[in-house]
Amino acid sequence: MKQLIGIAHNIEKVIIGKITTKNEMFSNKNDLIFVTRNNKIPNGFVAVITSNNSVDEKSKCFVENVENISELYDNDIVTIYPDGRINVVFEIKSKHNAVFVTERCNSNCIMCPQPPIKKEENEDNFELNLKYISLIDKNTVSIGITGGEPTLLGTKLFEILSAIYKRIPNATIHLLSNGIKFENYEYASKFAQSINQDIVIDVPLYSDIDTIHNSIVRTNTFYKTIKGIYNLAKFNIKIGIRVVVHKMNYDRLPELSEYIYSNFPFVFHVAFMQMEPMGFAKDNIKDLWIDPVDYNNELEKALLNLYYRDLHISVYNTQLCVLPEKLRHFAVQSISDWKNIYIDECKDCCLVSKCPGFFASSKDIHSRKIKAINDLQAKIA
Amino acid sequence: MNYQILPYRFERLNENIFLSNEVGEYLFLNNENFNRFIEHKLQPEEKAFKDLKSKQILADNNIDDVIEMLATKYRTKKHFLTEFTALHMVVATLRCNSNCSYCQVSKKDLCDVNFDMTKKTAKKVVEKIFESPSNNIKIEFQGGEPLLNFEIIKFIIEKVEWTNLFRKKNLEFVICTNLTSIDEKMLKWLKGHKVYISTSIDGPKELHNLNRPLHDIDNSYDLVTEKIKLCRTYLGNDSVSALMTTTSQTLNYFKEIIDKYIELGFNSVFLRSLNPYGFAKKDKHILSYPMVDFIENYKKALDYIIDLNIKGKFFSEGYASIILTRILTPFSTGFVDLQSPAGIAISGVIYDYDGDVYVSDEGRMLASVGDKKFKIGNVEINSYQEIFNGDYLHELIENSIAESLPDCATCAFLSYCGADPVRNYSEQGDIIGNRTISEICKKNKSIIQYILSLLQRNEKDINKVFWSWIARKSFEI
Repeated sequence: MKQLIGIAHNIEKVIIGKITTKNEMFSNKNDLIFVTRNNKIPNGFVAVITSNNSVDEKSKCFVENVENISELYDNDIVTIYPDGRINVVFEIKSKHNAVFVTERCNSNCIMCPQPPIKKEENEDNFELNLKYISLIDKNTVSIGITGGEPTLLGTKLFEILSAIYKRIPNATIHLLSNGIKFENYEYASKFAQSINQDIVIDVPLYSDIDTIHNSIVRTNTFYKTIKGIYNLAKFNIKIGIRVVVHKMNYDRLPELSEYIYSNFPFVFHVAFMQMEPMGFAKDNIKDLWIDPVDYNNELEKALLNLYYRDLHISVYNTQLCVLPEKLRHFAVQSISDWKNIYIDECKDCCLVSKCPGFFASSKDIHSRKIKAINDLQAKIA
Repeated sequence: MNYQILPYRFERLNENIFLSNEVGEYLFLNNENFNRFIEHKLQPEEKAFKDLKSKQILADNNIDDVIEMLATKYRTKKHFLTEFTALHMVVATLRCNSNCSYCQVSKKDLCDVNFDMTKKTAKKVVEKIFESPSNNIKIEFQGGEPLLNFEIIKFIIEKVEWTNLFRKKNLEFVICTNLTSIDEKMLKWLKGHKVYISTSIDGPKELHNLNRPLHDIDNSYDLVTEKIKLCRTYLGNDSVSALMTTTSQTLNYFKEIIDKYIELGFNSVFLRSLNPYGFAKKDKHILSYPMVDFIENYKKALDYIIDLNIKGKFFSEGYASIILTRILTPFSTGFVDLQSPAGIAISGVIYDYDGDVYVSDEGRMLASVGDKKFKIGNVEINSYQEIFNGDYLHELIENSIAESLPDCATCAFLSYCGADPVRNYSEQGDIIGNRTISEICKKNKSIIQYILSLLQRNEKDINKVFWSWIARKSFEI
């Protein structure tokens, strides 16, 4: 996520608050973090962020010498760490906000961009998340729940869900889960009972062949995920399937698409996506990298298979110039704003405003066919 | 043994082996791979191994999980059983103003109202319909010419709608009519009740008039086509569908018939072979033709229609669409002739004008020539339980499960086909039937095989056409 850095004063544990640039006299400032260019630290706010570096009021709670404070907007939500890091956990201008509930995971995917950790870094994470949810802008229409693997929270995940319902009952929740935990019917049932609003659970399925899927997630969990999907379907929960494409699974995309339709014709959405070359993906890039243009043939077959079978389909994280023209309208701008980049070649492209672009980490790891589209007739569809 | 072979059926098809399992998933293997497959010699890295595993014809681990998945798919394929009777056909009257050459039910005097359904009977029919556990109720009015007794149609529709205020089922009404007697007054009424029209067009004017003259005029074609336009004005463009019956006179004119359907604004045709029932059976020597002739012409017609679609005209063939849905999707279809157990009474049922209940329209046709073998009760005499849960119906259905019928049980195309006890009885005098001499088996098997060999070609254009028929819409890409 977007991160700023400054010099923290009197911050002993993680603080969470909502950004404001206005200091109104009679307003409740309990959960607000004031952003200023001034060296005066007003009273009442949980913390103050300033770009100034000559603050005198050393007894107050603030971060000074912060660059780029113009990137903070009213109603953003940030966490401030004792070491001066400021993480923007909710960006009011973004469509991709999420609650990041754990860094632990029961999969160990070979292309994971954020490798899991064994033990939570911050013991207060859960309480912080509840606080975070209570601060989310009430007009938010879509919120993610992500990790790690969110279901590792066990029943505590239900508290997160109920907090979201309390704050933004009309929003759609997008929960990213590997589905393994839902293999347990009891858990799936309790989960379903805790849902009061629109929710889609996006589950990764990398192959129609268990051994291939398992060698990607590096756990023996293919059939657990499948049972999880079936259990969720029993409660009419909307399920999306996510397929990250790389060298280990691209060749059976058409077969995978048929497998999805014949076994899970009830799925709400299927997305195929390029990997994010960070973390394990970067470590294993030699085993994983295939230029996306080299699997266009398989991707096209898979997409058309599902399109004809009347399923919703999308292509994530994929540059329009890489896709055959007739598939471009399936592409979705899916990369979180803070890490979404375009490269030099994109400057002259007439489709750049509609293009999903790149992960920041893909800057030097991308298709050889990236080429500005200049044809004024070029269409998305 | 490095893998286990799960239940499957197979048959040689165009130099290859076609394999299918209980839920209808299929693939083709060449001879060599097929032999290696059954000898347990395929290796996990091979494409054939993976493909067979993906279709769950082979399993090398987690067999319990695989069986569980197959069970889920099996339940989906047999979902029509949980629905129970959705199609309720009602014979409003046996009177008819048509004089079709192949008519399957007795023609009664145009003025003899003794062959009309009475309100007393109709009331009982509606009660029985609402005892069906199905959430989807489709009521299809048949005849004779049902519009000759329009009062009873109105009576039944109003009664059904009123009852449904409390029952909240999904209703659909269809009138199977020659359309010649429909008028604006009827249409104004029908418009308010979401009624669909199913009519008959046997092709271009000369063919249609040859097969389907009226009692009083020979040129029924001009009248019907004019009435189709009128129906569309009142009920909407998609409100009228049509079907045709193939006689020896029309057998060689499928192309002309298809062109005529397109000209008349239809986007599908159902190429039906002649049923060996009722009058058609009596006049068999004039009207009928060897099934192989129908099959050959059907294949050519299918090629012609596919080609029209590839050139950009969305137009489907009804029978192929049903078979394709059965082959390519995990779902069951509502078509009663291609189900196992047979759809008799449990998917569709017919109430005759006098309240007699038959397991299917064909069962009623047999009765019209004197054989009431497939009567399961009468709405005025019998309770719902007696009609739909009686020992006799149980016995009929137990003998109509393709999975346990001779030859069907081992047929590689079983999951796309069905059992048809009424047809077997009519052809061979026995509800189980001998497949080796069965006309209907010959027809279904040939058409299924032909469609499979088109699928085997795996041509982008053809696949797209087939899926557009299943989805009932054209695709842009």
